[in-house]
Amino acid sequence: MAEDRQPADIVEGATSGDVEDEVQPTAKSAEDRKAAAALSKLDARGDDEGASREVDQEAVKNAMSSLGGGAAKKDVKTVKVDAADVKLLVDELELSKPKATDLLKAHDGDAVKAMKAYLQPNF
Amino acid sequence: MPQTLSTREANLFRTVIRHYEDKQYKRGLKAAEQILKKNPKHGDTMSMKALILNAQGKTEEAFGLAKDALTIDMKSYICWHVYGILYRTNKNFDEAIKAYKFALKLEPDSHQIQRDLAVLQVQMRDYPGYIQSRLVMLKARPQLRQNWTALAIAYHLDGNLQQAENILSTYEKSVTAAPLRTDFENSEALLYKNSIIAEMGDFERALEHLEAECKACLDRLAVMELRARYLAELGRKEDAAKAYRALLDRNSEHPDYYKALVDALGIAADDETALKAVYDEYAAKNPRCDAAKRLPLDFLSGDGFRAAAKAYLTLMFDKGVPSTFANLKHLYSDNFKKETLPILAEEYLEEHRGNSSTNGDSSKGEGAALYFLGQHYNYFMSRDLSKATEYVEKAIELDPKNVDFHMTKARIFKHQGEIAKAAEAMDRARSLDTRDRYINSKAAKYQLRNDENEKALATMGLFTRAETVGGPLVDLTDMQCIWFLTEDGEAWQRRGDIGLALKRYHTIFNIFDIWQEDQFDFHSFSLRKGQIRAYIDLVRWEDQLRGHPFYFRAALDAVSLYLSMHDKPQNGANGVEGSHTNGDDAAAEKKKAAKKARKEAQKAEREAAEKAAKQDPNKGGAQKSKDGEEVKKKDEDPNGVKLAATTDPLGDAMKFLLHLLQFSPKNIEGQIAGFEVYIRRNKYLPALRCLKASLALDKDHPKVSEQATRLRKALEGAVDSLAPKTKEVIESELATVPGA
Repeated sequence: MAEDRQPADIVEGATSGDVEDEVQPTAKSAEDRKAAAALSKLDARGDDEGASREVDQEAVKNAMSSLGGGAAKKDVKTVKVDAADVKLLVDELELSKPKATDLLKAHDGDAVKAMKAYLQPNF
Repeated sequence: MPQTLSTREANLFRTVIRHYEDKQYKRGLKAAEQILKKNPKHGDTMSMKALILNAQGKTEEAFGLAKDALTIDMKSYICWHVYGILYRTNKNFDEAIKAYKFALKLEPDSHQIQRDLAVLQVQMRDYPGYIQSRLVMLKARPQLRQNWTALAIAYHLDGNLQQAENILSTYEKSVTAAPLRTDFENSEALLYKNSIIAEMGDFERALEHLEAECKACLDRLAVMELRARYLAELGRKEDAAKAYRALLDRNSEHPDYYKALVDALGIAADDETALKAVYDEYAAKNPRCDAAKRLPLDFLSGDGFRAAAKAYLTLMFDKGVPSTFANLKHLYSDNFKKETLPILAEEYLEEHRGNSSTNGDSSKGEGAALYFLGQHYNYFMSRDLSKATEYVEKAIELDPKNVDFHMTKARIFKHQGEIAKAAEAMDRARSLDTRDRYINSKAAKYQLRNDENEKALATMGLFTRAETVGGPLVDLTDMQCIWFLTEDGEAWQRRGDIGLALKRYHTIFNIFDIWQEDQFDFHSFSLRKGQIRAYIDLVRWEDQLRGHPFYFRAALDAVSLYLSMHDKPQNGANGVEGSHTNGDDAAAEKKKAAKKARKEAQKAEREAAEKAAKQDPNKGGAQKSKDGEEVKKKDEDPNGVKLAATTDPLGDAMKFLLHLLQFSPKNIEGQIAGFEVYIRRNKYLPALRCLKASLALDKDHPKVSEQATRLRKALEGAVDSLAPKTKEVIESELATVPGA
């Protein structure tokens, strides 16, 4: 008897009270959807509210000043790139101009090296 | 210079904005006209009017007006902002960013413009720009937690994990009162920070942080899983085993937990008894657990496998689980298992012949075993179609009304190459349970394989929303039913209707575009809701979106269709051209059939339109009261005639091809198609690149050496016209390709 394997307290199709079980009622009509939209707006704090709860203004100010002027600029190699080479890469490899420039820069402005590197499978 | 209005008009201008925001476009337009009557050269109002026109779908008019507004009032940030919004809604994001930046220069303190710019930057993956924008926003409002989190996200996505963590810590330090335990945003932010630490590879610190800060986090499962993972990574095996046991007690169906537990226990991969003991423990604890019984079949061998498989099969057959075969076919890569399973099923049949313990439910017991055997002999690794037919017929005899049995019968026909019969059989299976969506879709798919597009659409129509204007196809497109669109397109392609085939492929392309755009709303929404980890997952998923197999298949279809269009240019503009025609008769016949089909489709469309028009009075009235919005854009080319009439099929193919090569570089079919397109366009370097990729993927693929020869030949004629640098590259690189 296969059915005996089943413990008595388990009912087929019963839910376990998991979070996933709280299925959101789907909106039936435009009216419902409007109501749902309004509801979801209720708990969404808009960006424009000046919510200054429990934040120490002084500490924030200090923290801000320690941030400084922002991210340190990444070191970009300054490589002179020949415009003719860029054009060659754009034509031959069908790259966008900035991409072709980057590719050239990564190979010290050497078009032959850049094109060879482009040809290698990259996976 | 911003022009000033009288008080009355300034108020009116505010109502214009309000109406626009409430989507009451007609009223907004009216108010704007009122202002313009008195001040015909008021740039801001003209811009707002343009915005409203754009929202109503009058894009060109809107752009014209916005441009006029700009020339009148170059220094108005509203004009520039509107110009940016217009570009954004028309998906020219680069120009939109430029316009926003200009607007910001004029009005550096506008939150709204800054926010719009930031969202666009992250959408375009301009992370350095996004960091700058977020920094400005944080400085304007440091008291908002989400501004801190957003800046951390910006650094995180840009790859600067250290800085991301710093930002989050800085905020935490500035909070004086302890957050509530129910504070979801706080809980998620802590876990987000934890995930950043782990991403840096510092599991020691991640574990420390998790245990110190995240104990009370609301996502308890995540905390438990992360803890177990960190312990395992750190080699603290005993604790890891305990952690995984705790997880298994919560969910004993998760295969990864078992695997991790076995690893933590340090059991050797070939110690079958010890491995089995782990699983048996959970099988005993959870009698209804499937994973603990199924997973041991993966590693067991010999008699151990036999015994376990017999017990498993008996249980499944007794219960009549329809997915038994699908759940076991992964074992077939092992020859012994492939041969043992059908023997066990036969044994079961012997033992249960005529057994009535199944209470008359024939899908259990004997029927289930017959069904299993039918699928076994139909499976490609163990195929014997006459035997498969035999078992399925027996099963059908037992229960003539079983959908699954009939479905398998149809599948067998398909594998016999009897596509028409297969479609018929699948439709019969469908008729046995007309409320089953799965079998309905299957039936439609088989009809498409049999090139019965119209019939398939009607079948699908049984389950689409009846009230959709334009019929089932429009609904399926709206619902982004990609499998149907792909199969439909392939069927049209086989039937020689290039237009409709291209139309379907382009529709799929657009659906992926929509998915790309869908993330737009989440850049601000996820922040507001505080669900950062899920958001990061989303962003990374979107970056790989077009690597999806659905996209690959449709795009490859499109590329090969464009290739055949290039090779066999058609004369007629209607795009009726066989791509796989053998002989003129067949071509003519197909042409006729396609023409007829098209006529029928057009007729159906007309009828649908008439029907829609009849319904419209009510609908139109209802809509009008809502200020007549939601005007759906009409499809200008429903049958793809314009697509088929292209003069540059190779150029059109590029749109699909570039994504293929970028996102699925490891699929050789894509590389081969790439070569075919590039060589026809005389783009030798990209062609060579595809060839080299194919070579690296599978050097024995028959196409590879053929393409190498063709490339060499093509170059012979063209080599002198190449630039010297290109020539140098090609010659040295081609030398490394065998056969070229």
